[in-house]
Amino acid sequence: MRREQTLADRITGSALWRSVVRHGYPDTQRNQALIIASNVFLHIHPVKIKRYATKVTYTFCLGGLSFFMFLVLVMTGVLLMFYYIPSSEGAYQSMKDIEASVSFGQLMRNMHRWSAQGMVIAVFLHMGRVFYTGSYKPPREFNWVIGVLLLVTTFLLSFTGYLLPWDQLAYWAITVGSEIGGAAPIVGPQVNRILLGDFQIGQSTLIRFYTLHVIFLPLVAAFLMAVHFWRIRKDGGISGPL
Amino acid sequence: MAELANQAPGSPAQQIDEAKRRKLLELVRGRALARPTDLAEDEVMVWPSLVVVEAVSAVVFLGILTVLSILVNAPLLDRANPNQTPNPSKAPWYFLNLQEMLLHMDAGLAGVIVPTIALVAIAAIPYFDRSPLGVGILGTSTKGRKIIAFSTVFTTIVLIGMILLDEVIGRGTQFGIGRYAQEELGMPEWVGGIILSSIIMIGAIGTMVVMIQRMFRPTRRELIIALFTGFFVTYWVLAISGTSFRGEGQMLTWPWNLPLEHH
Repeated sequence: MRREQTLADRITGSALWRSVVRHGYPDTQRNQALIIASNVFLHIHPVKIKRYATKVTYTFCLGGLSFFMFLVLVMTGVLLMFYYIPSSEGAYQSMKDIEASVSFGQLMRNMHRWSAQGMVIAVFLHMGRVFYTGSYKPPREFNWVIGVLLLVTTFLLSFTGYLLPWDQLAYWAITVGSEIGGAAPIVGPQVNRILLGDFQIGQSTLIRFYTLHVIFLPLVAAFLMAVHFWRIRKDGGISGPL
Repeated sequence: MAELANQAPGSPAQQIDEAKRRKLLELVRGRALARPTDLAEDEVMVWPSLVVVEAVSAVVFLGILTVLSILVNAPLLDRANPNQTPNPSKAPWYFLNLQEMLLHMDAGLAGVIVPTIALVAIAAIPYFDRSPLGVGILGTSTKGRKIIAFSTVFTTIVLIGMILLDEVIGRGTQFGIGRYAQEELGMPEWVGGIILSSIIMIGAIGTMVVMIQRMFRPTRRELIIALFTGFFVTYWVLAISGTSFRGEGQMLTWPWNLPLEHH
């Protein structure tokens, strides 16, 4: 007995649909495998996985949330870049404009700010989860090192973004922060000069921090994340009881 | 198969006689029959089992973030003014643990050397602890979890004790012990700021290690758990102290007496 073709059947059976989606509805194991393997965003996953790896109380989603917050930060960050002016003259006023006259500007800024703080916490706690479950042990030792580098990159991303509002909070936090860096033995003064691009925080500092924040460090983070995620699979998936 | 594997590399393929070649072909064909959808007992399909977890947690989190962002505005103080230093001036909260350490010892030691050593040591953990025991078990074992609890309590008490001790010895000034050594005992600045501080830090960590050795007879993994927990707790205790208990002139104060909002 053939059932009648519905509208949905016609759409999903059309040449246009089939040219985009190469598999049928994922209610069979074959299609469930194809949907993962044929989609560029999903194929970061294996097709099948150990049952324990789906337990939320094992990972607390912390690594996934860190990545998700990175995505939120990229999206809201790009939107903020449309309005933000990286000049010591115009930065503060553009912040005021984003808050007062840009549609959803305040919301975008808030989401960017709170995910940035959240990402620092999530990445740190993710490190704790990986440590306390012994997931750094061979063969995952190099991925642990990549993870430490990602933690440092997260700190630097947050730190460089901190200056951009160009208010008193930003200015003096970065003053204190770069003084800490400048206290390094032997190379301290040079580190401080490289960070600030000047003897005190000014236009050259702002453009350095801005460039690091919106392009250089996100690329570094993306590069390290690509390695990090790839290695999870190559090292046998997420860890679990032996 | 084993015979083939044992052949010297580069030996000509013709040496494999016809019967063996057939067997090899069978082996290859047999493997091809294993489909990606063949599930073992302890396996599930990523779609839907994992993808659902990811999607739900992403949606729930995005909801929480959106509500938070509607309710709480990001801070924006007055325009930056290099001539007006706020009191206290504070680094971003996740560096306030370093700023807290700056109050107690030499700046290079607190701000650069100690954090660098900590990060390098953390990155090196898997090269010291290579045994696969305890993978996938939170805290490795009951003993491991007891060690976590002990290390947490020990580190918290020692840190708070040292902050208060510095406050008492320094009589309300910064660099309590260091300044005391310099002004009252006439020692050079670096003796108090670098030598004394290093001895105290190493001494505190060493005391904890010895106590744990005596009390728990830990494995290498469990000892590393104790040290990592010490780092973890130190990071947050000092960050909280720097964020919520340091007021004007970086003096100890209660959170409700703090002059400025800091985020």
